[in-house]
Amino acid sequence: MTTSASPAVAFEDVTIRFRAPRGGVHTVLQHVSLEVRDGTFLAIVGPSGCGKSTLLNVAAGLLTPPEGRAVIFGKPLDGINKHASYLFQQDALLPWRTVLDNVMLGLAFRNAPRAEAEAQARGFIERVGLRGFEDRFPHQLSGGMRKRVAVAQSWIVGPRILLMDEPFGALDVQTRQIMENELLDLWQESRQTVLFITHDLEEAVALADRVVLISAGPGARIKGDYEVPLPRPRDVAEIRLNPDFMQLYKRIWSDLRDEVRHSYEAGNR
Amino acid sequence: MSAQQAESDAGRVATTTRKPLNPLLVLSAQVAVFVIVMGLWQGLAEADVLDPFFFSRPTAIVAQIWKWVATGFIWPHLATTLVEALMAFVIGTAFGVGAGLALARVELLARVFDPYIRILNALPRVILGPIFILWFGLGIASKVALAVTLVFFIVFFNTFQGIREVDPVVLNNARMLQASERQLLRYVYLPSAMAWIFSSLHTSIGFALVGAVVGEYLGAARGIGYVVAQAEGVFDTTGVFAGLILTSAVVLLIDLGINRLERYLLRWRPGN
Repeated sequence: MTTSASPAVAFEDVTIRFRAPRGGVHTVLQHVSLEVRDGTFLAIVGPSGCGKSTLLNVAAGLLTPPEGRAVIFGKPLDGINKHASYLFQQDALLPWRTVLDNVMLGLAFRNAPRAEAEAQARGFIERVGLRGFEDRFPHQLSGGMRKRVAVAQSWIVGPRILLMDEPFGALDVQTRQIMENELLDLWQESRQTVLFITHDLEEAVALADRVVLISAGPGARIKGDYEVPLPRPRDVAEIRLNPDFMQLYKRIWSDLRDEVRHSYEAGNR
Repeated sequence: MSAQQAESDAGRVATTTRKPLNPLLVLSAQVAVFVIVMGLWQGLAEADVLDPFFFSRPTAIVAQIWKWVATGFIWPHLATTLVEALMAFVIGTAFGVGAGLALARVELLARVFDPYIRILNALPRVILGPIFILWFGLGIASKVALAVTLVFFIVFFNTFQGIREVDPVVLNNARMLQASERQLLRYVYLPSAMAWIFSSLHTSIGFALVGAVVGEYLGAARGIGYVVAQAEGVFDTTGVFAGLILTSAVVLLIDLGINRLERYLLRWRPGN
Protein backbone atom coordinates (compact mmCIF):
# COMPACT_ATOMS: atom_id res chain seq x y z
CA MET A 1 0.00 0.00 0.00
CA THR A 2 1.36 3.40 -0.95
CA THR A 3 1.46 5.86 1.90
CA SER A 4 -0.10 9.27 1.59
CA ALA A 5 1.96 12.43 2.16
CA SER A 6 -0.83 14.16 4.04
CA PRO A 7 -1.86 12.63 7.36
CA ALA A 8 -4.47 9.87 7.13
CA VAL A 9 -6.44 11.45 9.94
CA ALA A 10 -6.03 14.94 11.38
CA PHE A 11 -8.17 16.42 14.14
CA GLU A 12 -8.01 20.20 13.99
CA ASP A 13 -8.94 21.94 17.19
CA VAL A 14 -11.92 19.69 17.84
CA THR A 15 -14.27 20.63 20.67
CA ILE A 16 -17.35 18.55 21.46
CA ARG A 17 -20.24 19.64 23.62
CA PHE A 18 -23.46 17.84 24.37
CA ARG A 19 -26.62 19.27 25.83
CA ALA A 20 -26.82 17.79 29.31
CA PRO A 21 -30.08 16.01 30.21
CA ARG A 22 -30.83 18.49 33.01
CA GLY A 23 -30.09 21.54 30.89
CA GLY A 24 -26.75 23.23 30.55
CA VAL A 25 -23.92 22.08 28.35
CA HIS A 26 -21.45 19.28 28.92
CA THR A 27 -18.07 19.73 27.23
CA VAL A 28 -16.54 16.36 26.43
CA LEU A 29 -13.46 17.26 24.43
CA GLN A 30 -11.69 20.59 24.30
CA HIS A 31 -9.34 21.84 21.59
CA VAL A 32 -8.05 18.46 20.53
CA SER A 33 -5.54 18.56 17.69
CA LEU A 34 -3.84 15.42 16.50
CA GLU A 35 -2.25 14.21 13.30
CA VAL A 36 -1.95 10.51 12.43
CA ARG A 37 0.51 9.61 9.69
CA ASP A 38 -0.65 7.12 7.08
CA GLY A 39 0.22 3.54 8.08
CA THR A 40 0.52 4.27 11.78
CA PHE A 41 -1.04 2.02 14.41
CA LEU A 42 -2.20 4.59 16.95
CA ALA A 43 -3.66 3.66 20.31
CA ILE A 44 -5.70 6.21 22.22
CA VAL A 45 -5.90 5.60 25.98
CA GLY A 46 -7.61 7.46 28.76
CA PRO A 47 -9.86 6.95 31.76
CA SER A 48 -13.38 5.73 30.99
CA GLY A 49 -15.78 8.47 30.07
CA CYS A 50 -13.07 10.83 28.83
CA GLY A 51 -14.42 11.06 25.29
CA LYS A 52 -12.17 8.59 23.46
CA SER A 53 -15.10 7.04 21.62
CA THR A 54 -16.47 10.47 20.80
CA LEU A 55 -13.19 11.30 19.08
CA LEU A 56 -13.39 8.09 17.07
CA ASN A 57 -16.96 8.89 16.02
CA VAL A 58 -15.70 12.25 14.73
CA ALA A 59 -13.11 10.45 12.58
CA ALA A 60 -15.83 8.07 11.37
CA GLY A 61 -18.08 10.93 10.35
CA LEU A 62 -20.85 9.65 12.63
CA LEU A 63 -20.54 12.83 14.71
CA THR A 64 -19.91 16.35 13.42
CA PRO A 65 -18.05 18.54 15.92
CA PRO A 66 -19.53 21.99 16.60
CA GLU A 67 -16.01 23.42 16.60
CA GLY A 68 -12.98 22.23 14.70
CA ARG A 69 -12.97 19.48 12.10
CA ALA A 70 -11.57 16.15 11.03
CA VAL A 71 -9.40 16.09 7.90
CA ILE A 72 -8.96 12.75 6.11
CA PHE A 73 -6.05 12.44 3.66
CA GLY A 74 -6.01 16.22 3.31
CA LYS A 75 -9.75 16.62 2.72
CA PRO A 76 -12.12 17.96 5.39
CA LEU A 77 -14.57 15.22 6.35
CA ASP A 78 -18.19 15.71 5.38
CA GLY A 79 -20.58 12.87 6.21
CA ILE A 80 -19.51 9.24 6.63
CA ASN A 81 -15.76 8.63 6.24
CA LYS A 82 -15.56 6.51 3.11
CA HIS A 83 -11.95 5.50 3.69
CA ALA A 84 -12.68 3.99 7.08
CA SER A 85 -14.06 0.79 8.57
CA TYR A 86 -15.28 0.71 12.14
CA LEU A 87 -14.92 -2.16 14.59
CA PHE A 88 -17.35 -1.62 17.45
CA GLN A 89 -17.06 -2.84 21.01
CA GLN A 90 -20.64 -4.13 20.98
CA ASP A 91 -22.03 -6.69 18.58
CA ALA A 92 -22.73 -4.85 15.36
CA LEU A 93 -23.38 -7.77 13.01
CA LEU A 94 -26.81 -8.12 11.44
CA PRO A 95 -28.34 -10.86 13.62
CA TRP A 96 -30.72 -11.88 10.79
CA ARG A 97 -27.94 -12.56 8.29
CA THR A 98 -25.59 -15.52 8.19
CA VAL A 99 -21.84 -15.26 8.71
CA LEU A 100 -21.28 -15.30 4.95
CA ASP A 101 -23.87 -12.58 4.29
CA ASN A 102 -22.49 -10.47 7.10
CA VAL A 103 -18.94 -10.63 5.79
CA MET A 104 -20.20 -9.78 2.29
CA LEU A 105 -22.23 -6.85 3.52
CA GLY A 106 -19.84 -4.04 2.60
CA LEU A 107 -19.41 -5.47 -0.90
CA ALA A 108 -23.19 -5.89 -1.31
CA PHE A 109 -23.68 -2.24 -0.33
CA ARG A 110 -21.20 -1.29 -3.07
CA ASN A 111 -23.23 -3.40 -5.52
CA ALA A 112 -20.39 -5.82 -6.21
CA PRO A 113 -21.35 -8.88 -8.31
CA ARG A 114 -22.66 -11.58 -5.98
CA ALA A 115 -20.37 -14.43 -7.08
CA GLU A 116 -17.26 -12.30 -6.81
CA ALA A 117 -18.27 -10.94 -3.40
CA GLU A 118 -19.02 -14.44 -2.15
CA ALA A 119 -15.67 -15.82 -3.24
CA GLN A 120 -13.89 -12.94 -1.55
CA ALA A 121 -15.95 -13.36 1.61
CA ARG A 122 -15.16 -17.09 1.79
CA GLY A 123 -11.48 -16.20 1.59
CA PHE A 124 -11.78 -13.76 4.47
CA ILE A 125 -13.82 -16.19 6.55
CA GLU A 126 -11.02 -18.71 6.12
CA ARG A 127 -8.40 -16.13 7.07
CA VAL A 128 -10.15 -15.44 10.37
CA GLY A 129 -10.45 -19.20 11.02
CA LEU A 130 -14.21 -19.61 10.63
CA ARG A 131 -14.35 -22.07 7.76
CA GLY A 132 -17.41 -24.29 8.12
CA PHE A 133 -19.40 -21.58 9.91
CA GLU A 134 -20.50 -19.67 6.80
CA ASP A 135 -24.18 -20.52 7.22
CA ARG A 136 -24.45 -19.88 10.94
CA PHE A 137 -26.33 -16.97 12.39
CA PRO A 138 -24.43 -14.69 14.80
CA HIS A 139 -26.29 -15.92 17.89
CA GLN A 140 -24.98 -19.43 17.18
CA LEU A 141 -21.36 -18.26 17.60
CA SER A 142 -19.27 -17.45 20.67
CA GLY A 143 -18.27 -13.87 21.45
CA GLY A 144 -14.78 -14.39 20.04
CA MET A 145 -16.13 -15.90 16.82
CA ARG A 146 -18.55 -13.02 16.36
CA LYS A 147 -15.62 -10.66 16.76
CA ARG A 148 -13.75 -12.52 14.04
CA VAL A 149 -16.73 -12.13 11.74
CA ALA A 150 -16.74 -8.40 12.52
CA VAL A 151 -13.00 -8.20 11.71
CA ALA A 152 -13.58 -9.93 8.35
CA GLN A 153 -16.57 -7.67 7.69
CA SER A 154 -14.60 -4.49 8.25
CA TRP A 155 -11.48 -5.73 6.46
CA ILE A 156 -13.08 -7.01 3.25
CA VAL A 157 -13.88 -3.55 1.89
CA GLY A 158 -10.17 -2.71 1.84
CA PRO A 159 -10.32 0.33 4.12
CA ARG A 160 -7.32 2.65 4.35
CA ILE A 161 -8.26 3.55 7.90
CA LEU A 162 -9.45 1.18 10.62
CA LEU A 163 -11.29 2.65 13.57
CA MET A 164 -11.54 0.35 16.57
CA ASP A 165 -13.42 1.18 19.74
CA GLU A 166 -12.26 -1.23 22.45
CA PRO A 167 -13.03 -4.05 20.04
CA PHE A 168 -11.86 -6.81 22.39
CA GLY A 169 -13.12 -5.24 25.61
CA ALA A 170 -15.93 -7.75 26.10
CA LEU A 171 -13.78 -10.86 25.53
CA ASP A 172 -12.08 -13.01 28.14
CA VAL A 173 -8.33 -12.57 28.60
CA GLN A 174 -7.21 -15.64 26.63
CA THR A 175 -9.47 -15.02 23.65
CA ARG A 176 -8.42 -11.42 23.73
CA GLN A 177 -4.71 -12.21 23.42
CA ILE A 178 -5.38 -14.55 20.51
CA MET A 179 -7.48 -11.90 18.78
CA GLU A 180 -4.81 -9.24 19.36
CA ASN A 181 -2.19 -11.41 17.70
CA GLU A 182 -4.51 -12.19 14.80
CA LEU A 183 -5.18 -8.49 14.39
CA LEU A 184 -1.46 -7.74 14.29
CA ASP A 185 -0.89 -10.50 11.69
CA LEU A 186 -3.61 -9.12 9.46
CA TRP A 187 -2.38 -5.59 9.89
CA GLN A 188 1.23 -6.58 9.20
CA GLU A 189 0.19 -7.53 5.64
CA SER A 190 -1.71 -4.39 4.73
CA ARG A 191 -0.45 -1.68 7.11
CA GLN A 192 -3.48 0.54 7.12
CA THR A 193 -3.80 3.43 9.51
CA VAL A 194 -5.35 2.23 12.75
CA LEU A 195 -6.99 4.29 15.48
CA PHE A 196 -7.40 1.89 18.38
CA ILE A 197 -9.31 3.01 21.47
CA THR A 198 -8.67 1.21 24.73
CA HIS A 199 -8.54 1.88 28.45
CA ASP A 200 -6.01 -0.93 28.82
CA LEU A 201 -2.52 0.55 28.66
CA GLU A 202 -0.83 -2.84 28.25
CA GLU A 203 -2.92 -3.57 25.20
CA ALA A 204 -2.15 -0.12 23.79
CA VAL A 205 1.64 -0.42 24.16
CA ALA A 206 1.70 -4.03 22.93
CA LEU A 207 -0.16 -3.23 19.71
CA ALA A 208 0.67 0.33 18.73
CA ASP A 209 3.42 2.42 17.10
CA ARG A 210 2.25 5.43 19.01
CA VAL A 211 0.14 5.98 22.12
CA VAL A 212 -1.85 9.13 22.79
CA LEU A 213 -3.11 9.78 26.31
CA ILE A 214 -6.35 11.68 26.82
CA SER A 215 -6.99 13.42 30.13
CA ALA A 216 -10.00 12.88 32.38
CA GLY A 217 -13.20 14.62 31.29
CA PRO A 218 -15.10 16.87 31.26
CA GLY A 219 -13.24 19.05 28.80
CA ALA A 220 -10.68 16.33 28.05
CA ARG A 221 -7.49 17.22 26.17
CA ILE A 222 -4.48 15.38 24.90
CA LYS A 223 -2.17 14.89 27.84
CA GLY A 224 0.65 12.82 26.41
CA ASP A 225 1.98 11.50 23.12
CA TYR A 226 4.47 8.61 23.11
CA GLU A 227 6.32 6.75 20.37
CA VAL A 228 6.52 2.98 20.84
CA PRO A 229 9.82 1.94 19.23
CA LEU A 230 9.36 -1.78 19.88
CA PRO A 231 10.31 -4.29 17.15
CA ARG A 232 7.76 -5.91 14.81
CA PRO A 233 6.36 -8.42 14.17
CA ARG A 234 5.24 -8.71 17.76
CA ASP A 235 3.58 -11.31 19.90
CA VAL A 236 1.41 -9.56 22.46
CA ALA A 237 2.19 -12.08 25.20
CA GLU A 238 5.95 -12.03 24.66
CA ILE A 239 6.36 -8.33 24.10
CA ARG A 240 5.12 -7.69 27.62
CA LEU A 241 8.33 -9.29 28.95
CA ASN A 242 10.54 -6.99 26.90
CA PRO A 243 12.40 -4.53 29.24
CA ASP A 244 11.74 -1.63 26.85
CA PHE A 245 8.03 -2.44 26.99
CA MET A 246 8.06 -2.33 30.77
CA GLN A 247 9.96 0.93 30.91
CA LEU A 248 7.62 2.59 28.43
CA TYR A 249 4.61 1.18 30.21
CA LYS A 250 5.78 2.63 33.54
CA ARG A 251 6.39 6.03 31.99
CA ILE A 252 2.93 6.29 30.43
CA TRP A 253 1.23 4.73 33.44
CA SER A 254 2.56 7.40 35.80
CA ASP A 255 0.79 9.99 33.62
CA LEU A 256 -2.35 7.92 33.14
CA ARG A 257 -2.66 7.12 36.86
CA ASP A 258 -3.26 10.76 37.75
CA GLU A 259 -6.02 11.01 35.16
CA VAL A 260 -7.68 7.82 36.29
CA ARG A 261 -7.62 9.16 39.86
CA HIS A 262 -9.13 12.49 38.76
CA SER A 263 -11.89 10.75 36.88
CA TYR A 264 -12.53 8.37 39.78
CA GLU A 265 -12.76 11.22 42.27
CA ALA A 266 -14.99 13.23 39.93
CA GLY A 267 -17.28 10.23 39.67
CA ASN A 268 -17.52 9.89 43.45
CA ARG A 269 -18.25 13.50 44.15
CA MET B 1 -14.36 -26.68 17.71
CA SER B 2 -15.21 -28.09 14.33
CA ALA B 3 -18.58 -27.68 12.65
CA GLN B 4 -19.13 -31.44 12.65
CA GLN B 5 -18.46 -31.67 16.36
CA ALA B 6 -20.92 -28.88 17.07
CA GLU B 7 -23.47 -30.66 14.94
CA SER B 8 -23.16 -33.98 16.73
CA ASP B 9 -23.30 -32.31 20.14
CA ALA B 10 -26.51 -30.49 19.36
CA GLY B 11 -28.68 -33.36 20.63
CA ARG B 12 -26.95 -33.59 23.99
CA VAL B 13 -27.70 -30.33 25.69
CA ALA B 14 -27.88 -29.58 29.39
CA THR B 15 -31.19 -28.70 30.95
CA THR B 16 -31.77 -26.49 33.95
CA THR B 17 -32.72 -27.99 37.30
CA ARG B 18 -36.29 -26.76 36.94
CA LYS B 19 -38.17 -29.64 35.41
CA PRO B 20 -39.88 -28.83 32.13
CA LEU B 21 -43.64 -29.44 31.99
CA ASN B 22 -44.69 -32.72 30.48
CA PRO B 23 -46.41 -31.82 27.18
CA LEU B 24 -48.73 -34.80 27.57
CA LEU B 25 -49.93 -33.48 30.93
CA VAL B 26 -50.64 -30.07 29.41
CA LEU B 27 -52.56 -31.62 26.52
CA SER B 28 -54.69 -33.88 28.72
CA ALA B 29 -55.49 -30.95 31.05
CA GLN B 30 -56.57 -28.92 28.02
CA VAL B 31 -58.85 -31.74 26.88
CA ALA B 32 -60.23 -32.05 30.42
CA VAL B 33 -61.11 -28.33 30.51
CA PHE B 34 -62.94 -28.69 27.21
CA VAL B 35 -64.85 -31.78 28.29
CA ILE B 36 -65.87 -30.29 31.64
CA VAL B 37 -67.09 -26.98 30.20
CA MET B 38 -68.98 -28.62 27.33
CA GLY B 39 -70.35 -31.36 29.61
CA LEU B 40 -71.62 -28.77 32.11
CA TRP B 41 -73.21 -26.76 29.31
CA GLN B 42 -74.85 -29.83 27.81
CA GLY B 43 -75.91 -31.22 31.19
CA LEU B 44 -77.38 -27.95 32.46
CA ALA B 45 -79.24 -27.48 29.18
CA GLU B 46 -80.63 -31.02 29.32
CA ALA B 47 -81.74 -30.47 32.93
CA ASP B 48 -83.45 -27.23 31.86
CA VAL B 49 -81.35 -25.17 34.28
CA LEU B 50 -80.08 -23.26 31.25
CA ASP B 51 -82.96 -22.52 28.91
CA PRO B 52 -81.93 -24.05 25.54
CA PHE B 53 -83.91 -21.30 23.81
CA PHE B 54 -81.39 -18.70 25.08
CA PHE B 55 -78.28 -20.85 25.49
CA SER B 56 -78.68 -23.67 22.95
CA ARG B 57 -76.57 -26.77 23.62
CA PRO B 58 -73.20 -28.02 22.29
CA THR B 59 -74.66 -31.04 20.46
CA ALA B 60 -77.18 -28.85 18.65
CA ILE B 61 -74.43 -26.40 17.66
CA VAL B 62 -72.21 -29.15 16.30
CA ALA B 63 -75.19 -30.60 14.41
CA GLN B 64 -75.96 -27.18 12.96
CA ILE B 65 -72.36 -26.68 11.77
CA TRP B 66 -72.36 -30.18 10.31
CA LYS B 67 -75.60 -29.49 8.46
CA TRP B 68 -74.19 -26.23 7.01
CA VAL B 69 -71.08 -28.03 5.86
CA ALA B 70 -72.88 -31.12 4.54
CA THR B 71 -75.48 -29.18 2.56
CA GLY B 72 -72.81 -26.80 1.28
CA PHE B 73 -74.89 -23.86 2.55
CA ILE B 74 -71.98 -22.28 4.46
CA TRP B 75 -69.26 -22.28 1.76
CA PRO B 76 -70.27 -19.18 -0.25
CA HIS B 77 -70.77 -17.26 3.01
CA LEU B 78 -67.44 -18.38 4.41
CA ALA B 79 -65.72 -17.57 1.11
CA THR B 80 -67.18 -14.06 1.09
CA THR B 81 -66.05 -13.40 4.64
CA LEU B 82 -62.57 -14.78 3.96
CA VAL B 83 -62.14 -12.69 0.80
CA GLU B 84 -63.17 -9.57 2.69
CA ALA B 85 -60.86 -10.37 5.58
CA LEU B 86 -57.95 -11.19 3.28
CA MET B 87 -58.36 -7.98 1.28
CA ALA B 88 -58.60 -5.95 4.49
CA PHE B 89 -55.56 -7.75 5.88
CA VAL B 90 -53.44 -7.08 2.81
CA ILE B 91 -54.52 -3.46 2.38
CA GLY B 92 -54.34 -2.67 6.09
CA THR B 93 -50.91 -4.30 6.47
CA ALA B 94 -49.51 -2.54 3.39
CA PHE B 95 -50.71 0.87 4.57
CA GLY B 96 -49.73 0.11 8.17
CA VAL B 97 -46.16 -0.87 7.30
CA GLY B 98 -45.85 2.05 4.86
CA ALA B 99 -47.14 4.63 7.32
CA GLY B 100 -45.14 3.12 10.18
CA LEU B 101 -41.96 3.33 8.13
CA ALA B 102 -42.59 6.89 6.97
CA LEU B 103 -43.45 8.24 10.39
CA ALA B 104 -40.65 6.40 12.16
CA ARG B 105 -38.06 7.70 9.71
CA VAL B 106 -39.30 11.28 9.28
CA GLU B 107 -39.54 13.08 12.61
CA LEU B 108 -41.62 15.92 11.16
CA LEU B 109 -44.33 13.55 9.90
CA ALA B 110 -44.44 11.77 13.27
CA ARG B 111 -44.88 15.06 15.13
CA VAL B 112 -47.53 16.42 12.75
CA PHE B 113 -49.65 13.28 12.55
CA ASP B 114 -49.33 12.08 16.14
CA PRO B 115 -52.52 13.75 17.50
CA TYR B 116 -54.59 12.80 14.45
CA ILE B 117 -53.59 9.18 14.60
CA ARG B 118 -54.52 9.09 18.27
CA ILE B 119 -57.91 10.65 17.55
CA LEU B 120 -58.65 8.26 14.69
CA ASN B 121 -57.56 5.24 16.69
CA ALA B 122 -59.82 6.29 19.56
CA LEU B 123 -62.92 6.17 17.28
CA PRO B 124 -65.23 3.24 18.04
CA ARG B 125 -64.98 1.44 14.70
CA VAL B 126 -68.44 -0.18 14.86
CA ILE B 127 -69.99 3.28 14.54
CA LEU B 128 -68.11 3.69 11.25
CA GLY B 129 -69.94 0.63 9.86
CA PRO B 130 -73.15 2.40 8.85
CA ILE B 131 -71.17 5.31 7.38
CA PHE B 132 -69.11 2.93 5.26
CA ILE B 133 -72.30 1.24 4.07
CA LEU B 134 -73.54 4.68 2.99
CA TRP B 135 -70.27 5.41 1.20
CA PHE B 136 -69.41 2.04 -0.29
CA GLY B 137 -72.80 0.30 -0.49
CA LEU B 138 -74.00 -3.03 0.84
CA GLY B 139 -71.39 -5.03 -1.10
CA ILE B 140 -67.94 -6.22 -0.19
CA ALA B 141 -66.22 -2.80 -0.20
CA SER B 142 -67.85 -1.48 2.97
CA LYS B 143 -66.78 -4.56 4.95
CA VAL B 144 -63.23 -4.34 3.68
CA ALA B 145 -63.10 -0.67 4.62
CA LEU B 146 -64.31 -1.37 8.15
CA ALA B 147 -61.79 -4.17 8.67
CA VAL B 148 -58.97 -2.03 7.22
CA THR B 149 -59.56 0.61 9.91
CA LEU B 150 -58.93 -2.11 12.50
CA VAL B 151 -55.93 -3.77 10.85
CA PHE B 152 -54.15 -0.57 9.86
CA PHE B 153 -53.62 0.81 13.36
CA ILE B 154 -52.33 -2.42 14.84
CA VAL B 155 -49.78 -2.88 12.08
CA PHE B 156 -48.92 0.80 12.05
CA PHE B 157 -48.13 1.07 15.76
CA ASN B 158 -46.06 -2.12 15.75
CA THR B 159 -44.06 -1.16 12.66
CA PHE B 160 -43.43 2.30 14.08
CA GLN B 161 -42.19 0.86 17.35
CA GLY B 162 -40.10 -1.78 15.60
CA ILE B 163 -38.32 0.77 13.42
CA ARG B 164 -37.73 3.05 16.39
CA GLU B 165 -36.07 0.25 18.35
CA VAL B 166 -33.42 -0.61 15.79
CA ASP B 167 -30.08 -1.13 17.56
CA PRO B 168 -28.09 2.09 16.92
CA VAL B 169 -24.78 0.17 16.86
CA VAL B 170 -26.01 -2.16 14.11
CA LEU B 171 -27.28 0.88 12.24
CA ASN B 172 -23.98 2.78 12.55
CA ASN B 173 -22.07 -0.31 11.45
CA ALA B 174 -24.18 -0.57 8.29
CA ARG B 175 -23.71 3.13 7.64
CA MET B 176 -19.93 2.79 8.03
CA LEU B 177 -20.07 -0.03 5.47
CA GLN B 178 -21.67 2.56 3.19
CA ALA B 179 -25.24 1.39 3.04
CA SER B 180 -27.51 3.76 1.11
CA GLU B 181 -30.83 4.82 2.65
CA ARG B 182 -32.62 2.16 0.61
CA GLN B 183 -30.15 -0.50 1.64
CA LEU B 184 -30.55 0.52 5.29
CA LEU B 185 -34.28 -0.03 4.89
CA ARG B 186 -33.89 -3.43 3.28
CA TYR B 187 -31.00 -4.78 5.33
CA VAL B 188 -31.55 -3.15 8.73
CA TYR B 189 -34.86 -1.40 9.42
CA LEU B 190 -37.34 -3.89 7.98
CA PRO B 191 -35.72 -7.11 9.25
CA SER B 192 -35.31 -5.50 12.64
CA ALA B 193 -38.96 -4.46 12.73
CA MET B 194 -40.00 -7.93 11.51
CA ALA B 195 -40.53 -9.39 14.99
CA TRP B 196 -42.85 -6.50 15.85
CA ILE B 197 -44.67 -6.71 12.55
CA PHE B 198 -45.24 -10.42 13.06
CA SER B 199 -46.63 -10.02 16.52
CA SER B 200 -49.04 -7.51 14.99
CA LEU B 201 -50.06 -10.00 12.27
CA HIS B 202 -51.34 -12.41 14.89
CA THR B 203 -53.66 -9.76 16.26
CA SER B 204 -54.54 -8.14 12.96
CA ILE B 205 -55.65 -11.33 11.19
CA GLY B 206 -58.23 -11.78 13.95
CA PHE B 207 -59.29 -8.17 13.66
CA ALA B 208 -59.56 -8.42 9.88
CA LEU B 209 -62.07 -11.24 10.28
CA VAL B 210 -63.90 -9.50 13.12
CA GLY B 211 -64.17 -6.34 10.99
CA ALA B 212 -65.58 -8.30 8.08
CA VAL B 213 -68.09 -10.21 10.21
CA VAL B 214 -69.27 -7.08 12.05
CA GLY B 215 -69.62 -5.28 8.70
CA GLU B 216 -71.75 -8.11 7.37
CA TYR B 217 -73.79 -8.17 10.54
CA LEU B 218 -74.63 -4.48 10.08
CA GLY B 219 -75.92 -5.00 6.56
CA ALA B 220 -75.07 -7.47 3.81
CA ALA B 221 -76.47 -10.14 1.51
CA ARG B 222 -73.95 -12.85 2.33
CA GLY B 223 -71.12 -13.75 4.68
CA ILE B 224 -70.84 -15.32 8.15
CA GLY B 225 -71.96 -12.07 9.77
CA TYR B 226 -75.07 -12.13 7.56
CA VAL B 227 -75.80 -15.73 8.58
CA VAL B 228 -75.48 -14.78 12.27
CA ALA B 229 -77.76 -11.76 11.79
CA GLN B 230 -80.35 -13.93 10.01
CA ALA B 231 -80.27 -16.51 12.79
CA GLU B 232 -80.62 -13.79 15.39
CA GLY B 233 -83.61 -12.39 13.51
CA VAL B 234 -85.53 -15.64 14.08
CA PHE B 235 -84.25 -16.16 17.65
CA ASP B 236 -82.13 -19.11 16.47
CA THR B 237 -79.51 -19.13 19.25
CA THR B 238 -77.95 -22.30 17.90
CA GLY B 239 -77.28 -20.61 14.55
CA VAL B 240 -75.68 -17.60 16.28
CA PHE B 241 -73.35 -19.82 18.32
CA ALA B 242 -72.51 -21.94 15.29
CA GLY B 243 -71.52 -18.82 13.34
CA LEU B 244 -69.37 -17.56 16.21
CA ILE B 245 -67.57 -20.87 16.66
CA LEU B 246 -66.96 -21.18 12.94
CA THR B 247 -65.39 -17.72 12.91
CA SER B 248 -63.00 -18.47 15.76
CA ALA B 249 -62.05 -21.82 14.21
CA VAL B 250 -61.06 -20.07 10.99
CA VAL B 251 -59.01 -17.46 12.88
CA LEU B 252 -57.24 -20.23 14.77
CA LEU B 253 -56.34 -22.04 11.54
CA ILE B 254 -54.92 -18.93 9.88
CA ASP B 255 -53.00 -18.10 13.05
CA LEU B 256 -51.30 -21.52 12.91
CA GLY B 257 -50.18 -20.74 9.36
CA ILE B 258 -48.72 -17.42 10.46
CA ASN B 259 -46.93 -19.19 13.31
CA ARG B 260 -45.12 -21.44 10.86
CA LEU B 261 -44.21 -18.56 8.57
CA GLU B 262 -42.94 -16.63 11.57
CA ARG B 263 -40.79 -19.50 12.79
CA TYR B 264 -39.18 -19.70 9.37
CA LEU B 265 -38.62 -15.99 8.83
CA LEU B 266 -37.39 -15.32 12.37
CA ARG B 267 -35.13 -18.39 12.52
CA TRP B 268 -32.11 -16.14 13.10
CA ARG B 269 -33.30 -15.31 16.60
CA PRO B 270 -31.85 -17.11 19.61
CA GLY B 271 -34.26 -19.78 20.83
CA ASN B 272 -35.89 -20.37 17.44
